[in-house]
Amino acid sequence: MVQLLVNALALGAAYALVALGFVLVLNAIGAVNFAHGELVMAGGLLAAIAAAAAPVPVPGVLLLPLVVAVMAVLGVAIGAIGYLPLRRRPPAAVFISTIAIGGMVQNTALLAAGPEPRTAPPLLPAAAVELGGMPVSVQSLAIIAVAALLIGGQYSLFHYTRLGRRLRAAAEDPDMARACGIPVTIMVLITFSAGAALAGAAGLLLANRFFVSPGDGAVYILKAYIAITLGGWGSIPGAVAGAFIIAGFETVVSLWISTPLALGLLYLAVLAILIVRPSGLFGEAAGRRL
Amino acid sequence: MTDFLRWLATGIRLPLLLGACALALWAAGAASPYQVRLLAVAGIHAIAVAGLQLVFGLAGALSLAQGTFFGVGAYAAGLLAVHAGWPVEATVPAAVLAPTLLALLVGGPVLRLESHYFSLATLGVGQVVLLAVILGQEVTGGANGLPGVRGLVLFGWNCGRGWPLVLVVWSAAATVMMGVALIARGRSGLALAQLRADPMMARCLGLDVGALRLSMLVASAACAGLAGGLAVHSLRVVSPETLEFPLMVGFLTMAMVGGRGRASGAAVGALLLIHLPEWLRGFERAYLVVYGAMLLVAIVVAPEGLIGLAEQIRRRWWPEPPVRLPVALAPGADAPLSWFRKREGSGESTPLAGAGGSPRAKRQDSRQGTLSPDTPYQRPAGLWKPINKEDLLVITKLRKQFGGVVAVDGVSFSVAAGEIVGVIGANGSGKTTLVNLISGVERPDRGSIRFAGREIAGAEPFRIARAGLTRSFQSGGLPDGLTALEAVAVARLAGHERNRRLAERRARWFLDRAAVPPDQIGRRCDILPPPVRRRVELARALARGGTLLLLDEPAAGLGVDDRQEVATVLRQAAADGLAILVIEHDLDFLAALADRILCFERGHLIFDGPPAGLKADAAVTAAYFGGPVT
Repeated sequence: MVQLLVNALALGAAYALVALGFVLVLNAIGAVNFAHGELVMAGGLLAAIAAAAAPVPVPGVLLLPLVVAVMAVLGVAIGAIGYLPLRRRPPAAVFISTIAIGGMVQNTALLAAGPEPRTAPPLLPAAAVELGGMPVSVQSLAIIAVAALLIGGQYSLFHYTRLGRRLRAAAEDPDMARACGIPVTIMVLITFSAGAALAGAAGLLLANRFFVSPGDGAVYILKAYIAITLGGWGSIPGAVAGAFIIAGFETVVSLWISTPLALGLLYLAVLAILIVRPSGLFGEAAGRRL
Repeated sequence: MTDFLRWLATGIRLPLLLGACALALWAAGAASPYQVRLLAVAGIHAIAVAGLQLVFGLAGALSLAQGTFFGVGAYAAGLLAVHAGWPVEATVPAAVLAPTLLALLVGGPVLRLESHYFSLATLGVGQVVLLAVILGQEVTGGANGLPGVRGLVLFGWNCGRGWPLVLVVWSAAATVMMGVALIARGRSGLALAQLRADPMMARCLGLDVGALRLSMLVASAACAGLAGGLAVHSLRVVSPETLEFPLMVGFLTMAMVGGRGRASGAAVGALLLIHLPEWLRGFERAYLVVYGAMLLVAIVVAPEGLIGLAEQIRRRWWPEPPVRLPVALAPGADAPLSWFRKREGSGESTPLAGAGGSPRAKRQDSRQGTLSPDTPYQRPAGLWKPINKEDLLVITKLRKQFGGVVAVDGVSFSVAAGEIVGVIGANGSGKTTLVNLISGVERPDRGSIRFAGREIAGAEPFRIARAGLTRSFQSGGLPDGLTALEAVAVARLAGHERNRRLAERRARWFLDRAAVPPDQIGRRCDILPPPVRRRVELARALARGGTLLLLDEPAAGLGVDDRQEVATVLRQAAADGLAILVIEHDLDFLAALADRILCFERGHLIFDGPPAGLKADAAVTAAYFGGPVT
């Protein structure tokens, strides 16, 4: 039971990183970054390839900085190519451009790594510890710790630093922020890189528990999307809450039925929620403009 | 003959036609069997992409279910052919029907969603269908698919895999694309252009946005199903790949590269992207990366696609002759072309749900066409004659709260026919919220709004608009891509003209009435100078031909002379019986125009009386002038 709870929490923590990165970019550009799921996949694949290339076994914790750094750079590139040329165009344009970028990332991964599933090393070498008399997997605890650290880091960055205030100002009202002398373009690119870094970290955390293969991006983008829909469009705490709801749903429902069926049930549940409440479970954080 | 030549010379029809002929000649003479097969595949994709042009290109809803609809069509045909042994003549209609029903089923609830949820929901539908197919292994063959579908045999004629197949597929594609082109150029195309630019504005012009979107989604599903049915019989196998996301990305890329919203764009995009892997043999498997890159380049560099680029080049190097403007036709006057008369139906009226009878329809029927189209400036009798003279609009104890702010609180007043009522108040005093509540854009928390004897509080904006209430928006709301003429013609679509050309002739009459210079009428709204824009907005509001007009700062940003002209136009309309509620900050403008002034402060109505009494009222002077006026 404890093991189940810890696993669900670990899964939720990893999903929370995915959703968090997604919603940060969403708020900064007012559009969906459809390549986000591919970034999760890319982070996991990168960790798996790096671990395989290393001459000695490397724990995931050591790979984390590498993955985060590479993904941050990739995030800037995506922002510069997929968003900046389209900033004055309707959100659907960015949606399509990021679909295109997602396809490119996915197929590049396919060319580079092949279609076979891989697995990344665990964060720490140890297997299990006793917790209240029950064996609990170290990997799950480590995932929770790393995710908590990253989410806490994001929160303090955005709320307690000058850069964070500028980032939030640029997301809140780009024109006003620009008028106040904030370099909005740079802020948007930083947000893209933070979003990609979070996605990459999540990919690394997930790639040990599940296999990672180039086709996995679609599942993650859907889950991020669903987390945001559950938690309230544009709400950051909501995104994290939504991620935990998905993880709990998956863990519990998978006890009874197979995983693909659980996934189908999740989609059906979300469709039902959207039909009953067209603006999401908790309403929209971002108000509708006329 | 000259008509045909003129038709041929417009746009890029001639090069497109020549290109199609050249392609057909090459395929007939020099193409290998493999190349012929590719042509058939491209034709099948063109059908599905033409459907996507309807829902995404024209209705502006990014549906990610087009691939799913294609797959559902493919599975419907394939399963019926393999398990039930149905002939092709029955499986292909079934392939059209299955996704159409699915679209009808999910369309209603899904299309109410905001755009981002709409895309998610369509994606979710696709995932559910895909999982169902993979899990239903006994019937569908699961992840491996189902082989053994027979080839395309139509009424005893075996189309095989070569030329006959190409002919069948491309005839179907041509028919579908012709349908898309007709929709784009017709009445629905005009309504959809407005819907794309601003859905809320479209609603306030009386357009049933939900029905428009649903019809486009269903039509797109039917196209995708037809394509799926043809695909399954030409490939002779059903596979879950037809349901997967890469196919959807392919359709989207074809639509964007070819030209969004254009029928010919579907053919160009499909032909190009189906042949791309062949031309990119050197890249081997990397062609999928190139696919993504092409989509990216298309959206960034050529958002209108190849067809859009060609049209641009045509406009630059060989400008088309200026559009011939339609001759103005007064409302109520007969259309001069007899074959329009039956379809014109100027009396179509949609009463609010639950309202008994339709006095408006009767009134419109009694309005005989007495004006010749050549005398546009004569006022038609009874153009805006209301149902009963007093109390056209009666508002009682209206209240609306946003979070902790009470934007409108306990407001009661009434407006009579032919009356001009000015609304003043500081920013944030609730003026615009009031207009939003009356026009149905916002739902009141409490209170009643009776318009022409019916309760309209909380009704849908398009129903309120069709009942004869028209509003303008503070920030314009003219659709960028349309000409001034088309933008005004949109206002005639709901409840007036059934025919686009007729709607444009009526629009011309209203544009003339609002004193829009004729040389500006054929220009696109986004390049009109601001004073002209204001007049076009006014013309559009008048063109709705209702009984009450709500104007939100119609003269904002205009100079003194232009303001005078706006006032003159409004006075004329009021003299014809139209009631006007106008928000303005310029008191001098209002004092000269309005019969009555309403003054708002923090959601409360603090003054209701003639303009002359305004400066004497203590509450108004305190709130609005910041002290007694000396």
